[in-house]
Amino acid sequence: MMWQAFVAEFRREWITLRRYPTEFFGELVVVVVIFYGLFLGSSYMSGGGIFGARLSSVILGYTLWTLSLAAIGNMGYSISNEAQNGTLEQVFLSPVGAVRILILRNIASLIFSMLFTILVIYGIMALTGHFLPLSPIDLVPLVMAVGTAMGIGFLIASITILFKRTNQLLGLLQFVLLFIIMTPFTTFHGAWQYLGVIAPLSPMVGLLQSMLVDHQGLLTAPGHWFWWGFVNVALWLGLGIAVFSRAYARAKTRGTLGHY
Amino acid sequence: MPLLEVKGLAKRYRAKDGAIVHAVKTVSFTLEAGQILAFLGPNGAGKTTSIKMIAGLIRPDDGDVLIAGHSVGRRTRAALIHLGAVLEGSRNLYWRMTPLENCEYWGGIRGMNRKSSRLRGLELLDLCGLADKSHHTVQQLSRGMQQQVAICCALLHRPALLLLDEPTLGLDLEASDRIQALVRDLALHDQVGIVLTTHQMEIAEALSHRVAIIRKGEVILENGTEQALAAFSGNTYGVDLTEPPTVEKRALLELQGATFDSPSSFRIVLETASDVHPLLNLLRPIGVLRVQRETADLATVFRHYVETDEPSRTFAGGGAE
Repeated sequence: MMWQAFVAEFRREWITLRRYPTEFFGELVVVVVIFYGLFLGSSYMSGGGIFGARLSSVILGYTLWTLSLAAIGNMGYSISNEAQNGTLEQVFLSPVGAVRILILRNIASLIFSMLFTILVIYGIMALTGHFLPLSPIDLVPLVMAVGTAMGIGFLIASITILFKRTNQLLGLLQFVLLFIIMTPFTTFHGAWQYLGVIAPLSPMVGLLQSMLVDHQGLLTAPGHWFWWGFVNVALWLGLGIAVFSRAYARAKTRGTLGHY
Repeated sequence: MPLLEVKGLAKRYRAKDGAIVHAVKTVSFTLEAGQILAFLGPNGAGKTTSIKMIAGLIRPDDGDVLIAGHSVGRRTRAALIHLGAVLEGSRNLYWRMTPLENCEYWGGIRGMNRKSSRLRGLELLDLCGLADKSHHTVQQLSRGMQQQVAICCALLHRPALLLLDEPTLGLDLEASDRIQALVRDLALHDQVGIVLTTHQMEIAEALSHRVAIIRKGEVILENGTEQALAAFSGNTYGVDLTEPPTVEKRALLELQGATFDSPSSFRIVLETASDVHPLLNLLRPIGVLRVQRETADLATVFRHYVETDEPSRTFAGGGAE
């Protein structure tokens, strides 16, 4: 039943992309152009431009940020849009169950988001002329980042399912997330280093940095960030699913599941 | 075992001023396979809340719903496999996708593979006369067609129970007739049990085997539709004659309580159906075109229960074949 539901969700995403490609490519152009604008702006302000490892970090941070925003936003937007359009209650009538449907939906949607992210990275690299040595193994921290982002997505979905209108919150979250991704928690020392484990996405940022900038291996990167990444995913995804399950039950009790 | 058992459902909400609002006080009824139950009530009576509690979308404060013996609250997955629903006020469909793509999607999230969803979707769309529209996006279809596609999507997994909340609301006559024919066919040939809410009494009367009327959150009548109508029909007979009776004969009829609507037709209250024979003897030799017991319609029954403080009446059995 889960596989059939996943295929259905994947095909729905694919049909929307195929039928309305301008939405996908329009968004792609906007995301790349915004980065290029920031790049040119910061080069102008600093007088010398951004180069080398610093530029690599900024490119990585930016792409991770857009991917995480897609994972988080998918949940919140999906629920509020579907409540507004009148399909949410039908989705929740599925015997697969609300939590599993949302996970499958997000996985399906994130396959396309990964494609989007890869195009963004190559677009940015082409524009800046700064090429990172990418390999398929680099997708591992990205997939882990998506796991944590899905957990935060479930937290947003919990608020959305109860209060429906969370667009302002999602707008604010963009900046919180940007702060978290750009802060090098994994380089902190003493008791502060635990923040690197707990802060959402932080181990994955550190891991990607080690792999792409310092040319370390996935398992050989210092700080065991690969394994701490799993802890981070389990923490946020577990918390997100637990809170969403409670919020879903609460919405059913309050009778507001399909309201908008 | 009934297909659907609704047992003592109750739902309370807290209003913004802190007061407790009883949206549904007590709703109980049963439904067998192949039966259509018209679930009627005025706006705000608790129909949609009850339907959503049956579908598991609202958690009741008291009571339980069993679908094919599975509790919607405790064994949700097992219960939902047997359920299809088209909810009022919802689109129920993805408008950017075609009817066939919608069938594939809704079948998929109910556990059907793509091929069987597609084949079943084509079969149902064909049944509704929408096969030629299967490749238009839903937003290009008329409201009646969209409603039919929504019903098709709810039927993909061959549910034993179908909930239809206002399925003909705002539709033109032709679309309404098509949906009525489809609903009748589903109950008769596929033995689907259907709970139908509507404000259109003539549709409820034409389709339903059983009727439940809800008022202020309580079911105040549950009975077979024919029995409910018969209880209100009384013993008034309408008689049409080929020619007006003589003055003496008319006086004699009026003496027995006849009320003339025209010179050659009258209504008369008889104590039993066998009293028709002496009446016909009295009329002899005038020709008789029609003798018919006048029956109440569902609108009359509905108004009686909703507009008066009639205590609740539920009847075991009755109704469906």
